[in-house]
Amino acid sequence: MTKKKLQANGLWLLVMIVGYLAINLLVYTGVVDSFIENMLVTIGINIILATGLNLIIGFSGQFSLGHAGFMAIGAYATGIILQTVPTVGGFVGSIVVGIIIAIIAAIIVGVPTLRLSGDYLAIATMGAAEIIRVVINNMKITNGAAGLFNIPQFATWPVVYVLVCVTTIVIVNFAHSRAGRAIQAIRDDEIAAEAVGVNPTKWKLAAFVLGAATAAIGGSLHASYIQTIAPSDFGIMNSIALLIIVVLGGVGSMTGTFLAAIVLGVLDTVLQSFGTLRMVIYAVALIVIMVFKPSGLLGRYEFSFAHVLNRHKKEDAA
Amino acid sequence: MSRLLQVEHVSKIFGGLKAVEDVSMHVEEGELVALIGPNGAGKTTLFNALTGVSPATEGSVTFNGVSLDKKKPYQVAKMGIARTFQNIRLFHQLSVRENLQAAMTHRYKEDFVSSILRLPTFTKKEALVNGWTDEILAKLDLSDVGEMITANLPYGTQRRVEIARAVASDPKLIFLDEPAAGMNPEETADLTDLIRRLQSEFGLTVVLIEHDMSLVMNIAERIYVLEHGKLIAEGTPAEIQNNQAVITAYLGGGIHV
Repeated sequence: MTKKKLQANGLWLLVMIVGYLAINLLVYTGVVDSFIENMLVTIGINIILATGLNLIIGFSGQFSLGHAGFMAIGAYATGIILQTVPTVGGFVGSIVVGIIIAIIAAIIVGVPTLRLSGDYLAIATMGAAEIIRVVINNMKITNGAAGLFNIPQFATWPVVYVLVCVTTIVIVNFAHSRAGRAIQAIRDDEIAAEAVGVNPTKWKLAAFVLGAATAAIGGSLHASYIQTIAPSDFGIMNSIALLIIVVLGGVGSMTGTFLAAIVLGVLDTVLQSFGTLRMVIYAVALIVIMVFKPSGLLGRYEFSFAHVLNRHKKEDAA
Repeated sequence: MSRLLQVEHVSKIFGGLKAVEDVSMHVEEGELVALIGPNGAGKTTLFNALTGVSPATEGSVTFNGVSLDKKKPYQVAKMGIARTFQNIRLFHQLSVRENLQAAMTHRYKEDFVSSILRLPTFTKKEALVNGWTDEILAKLDLSDVGEMITANLPYGTQRRVEIARAVASDPKLIFLDEPAAGMNPEETADLTDLIRRLQSEFGLTVVLIEHDMSLVMNIAERIYVLEHGKLIAEGTPAEIQNNQAVITAYLGGGIHV
């Protein structure tokens, strides 16, 4: 049992390293130009943001529409700190500061709103994200509506790649532990979960806070990669764009989130040559996928090396 | 025998409706007590008041010497009271194993860092929890369906999983709300056996709401009868069967000529 798990973990590590080397090689040989690299980084940042949102929506069952608000906190923390301390240390420090502020904000937002559910919670979290945006819009330190520009670029694709791996490991391991079982129990039936000793407020808040923290990381990377941020980058439409990734991939499937982020990222890049038709085709693609696969590309399916190894063993035996 | 549950003068009032009125009862450790009464008598409301789901308007409840007043449902559960529901409430997207393990979260600690980094302490804890789960699955004949998603299980098995989940939370007292509802005679016979085993093998105290009189009369040691929110009788099965107030409640009053 444990040996198989070690094997599976080893395989994942191998995949991560091979992926890194492969992209590195392609960049080196020039197959991946700056255009495609831009696409890869955008996909990576979207994966970080969407896995966090999937933890909140798919695993703890809370319909949050405020993800862009927490992303804005990370982005502005990095933007402001990097403009005064333009070093690698400053970048790392700014990510940490962004996470801490996002956690505090998530607790302040979460404690009163997480007793709501469904549409009501969506509206409340949307409002909370709007408050964050409006506050940023009116502060001196954030340079108001004009936003920040010339932010030094530290978020290169290797940094993004490593952070995609780290946040995914954190979220997936969280979801497959005592905490994950508690939040999924609350999602399926809150009354029954309480009746077996699960404190719903505590666990819902834990999932919400962890999701917000990863959103802040995504925001930090966004700020330092794009180098220009403004409050209008973190509106309701950005929260919805992330929601689309989660729903399209399959609510509750992290593999699906990866797949959807990649599919949409590639689609977006490919369609750029179509000009104004781009958004139409994008929307039609979304509609087609939702009509033929209402539960998302992968439903609740989760890819796992442990299962693949198990199946292999059984086939060998047969 | 010591007194495990003491209910004193509990009332539950919804606006002008007295759903439960001045009910006092007690349950001794290791007992198997049934709570019966016609539909709408307030049996489930009383269960909900006792487990903190909808707290009693008046009165006090003491469990194992500790007051349950103003305790939240999850705190009541942690103190050792488990329950099943009249309409099955399983974690339907999770497997049977995960359902049981979700009920065990208060029995062990697992800190954030060790579960994220999959440290040896985490692996050890997971092995411990899997051991507990395997044991309960085996004892309740659920080993075969352990990895199945509960939504896909037949009705009788779902009932059994719900009882297994209650057992998984390591309670002293278990409330069963109409466990035989919708079961055929064969399944009811299995259930009767299972409830007996909860008492003998798991050492649990059982309080049972049930409409199936053959089941109740068969296994209950003591019976409380509730009608229109009031307690109208208490006694052994034989006493209850001959109690005039109970007969009137169930069959209507005699015809006076």
